[in-house]
Amino acid sequence: MDLKAFQTTVLPLKSKLFRFALRMLGNADEAKDVVQEVFTRVWTKGRAMDEVRNWEAWCMRVVHNLSIDRIRLNNRQHSVPLSEGLNITQDIPSPHERTELVESMRQVAEIMATLPLKQQQVLHLRDVEGYSYKEICEVLELDMNQVKVYLFRARNAVREKLTRMNAYGL
Amino acid sequence: MDSKELERLLEKYWACETTLEEEQMLREYFRTTPATEATRDAAVMFAYFDMQRTRQLDDASLDERIANMAKPKVRPLIRFVHNGLRIAAGIAVLVAAVWLVHDEIRENTPQEMLDTYSDPELAFEETKRALLIISRGFGAAEEQARKLDLFNEAQQKIRNEMTNQSEEEVKREL
Repeated sequence: MDLKAFQTTVLPLKSKLFRFALRMLGNADEAKDVVQEVFTRVWTKGRAMDEVRNWEAWCMRVVHNLSIDRIRLNNRQHSVPLSEGLNITQDIPSPHERTELVESMRQVAEIMATLPLKQQQVLHLRDVEGYSYKEICEVLELDMNQVKVYLFRARNAVREKLTRMNAYGL
Repeated sequence: MDSKELERLLEKYWACETTLEEEQMLREYFRTTPATEATRDAAVMFAYFDMQRTRQLDDASLDERIANMAKPKVRPLIRFVHNGLRIAAGIAVLVAAVWLVHDEIRENTPQEMLDTYSDPELAFEETKRALLIISRGFGAAEEQARKLDLFNEAQQKIRNEMTNQSEEEVKREL
């Protein structure tokens, strides 16, 4: 891989890589370290990267593996602080609606944080990043059925918990 | 999108049967249409996913670290080749100098002194001449050696005579 390919193909992935690392680690500084490590690996692989068919999936898989290593190394549960990513940038007409939206986002973030890691990863890759099932299989090294099962469980768990929260305030 | 179509797509979405294009249609719908009581959960989830997607990594120090890492560097292999070429150039200059000096010497040396192997008669004559020179040398050396022998003999005689004389004088005194 030459400098031009690195700048045009790999560098633009940094935000995607960061979001995925942040989803797994729940810490922005650690997520940045992981992103830097991924870029270092891509750059040092040099010509060997030309053999990689899908650079994006390859980079996301490295993010996944490095994040898992960090979680294991620190012997901790993955965690997503509720405040992470709750910067509302959309145009909200009224303060009331804005407050309501922030509250809803907080609820979804809270529910997401309670999901098992694999379900969070699959939901993130599909519904946030818009990956195909095949790409998710490549990144997480799972088969298609596993991916669909994790996604089904994740979407429905979030939906049920949201319904329960709104209906009973639980 | 009418309500029937929305309902159909949402059912597929919860069952994980939607395509990426259908999910994009749902995303667009919830971005532009206020949620109803029936679609509230899906609308909140899609809004959350949208918000997550807008999160960007803007960190100047990280960008700088990555840029420094990707700067073109002189690789060890290139350095090795570069040094190798310098050494090879030095050796080439040395070989050329030796060749030129050798060539100059050949040009200034008579032909009969060189390459006599190709002419057996000339080689024989040269060998004879060389042996004759050696033989003359030996002859001269033998003559000198004879003179030395004469000198030694004379010296020995003088010593003997002197010894005899001194012995006789001692006897006389006694």
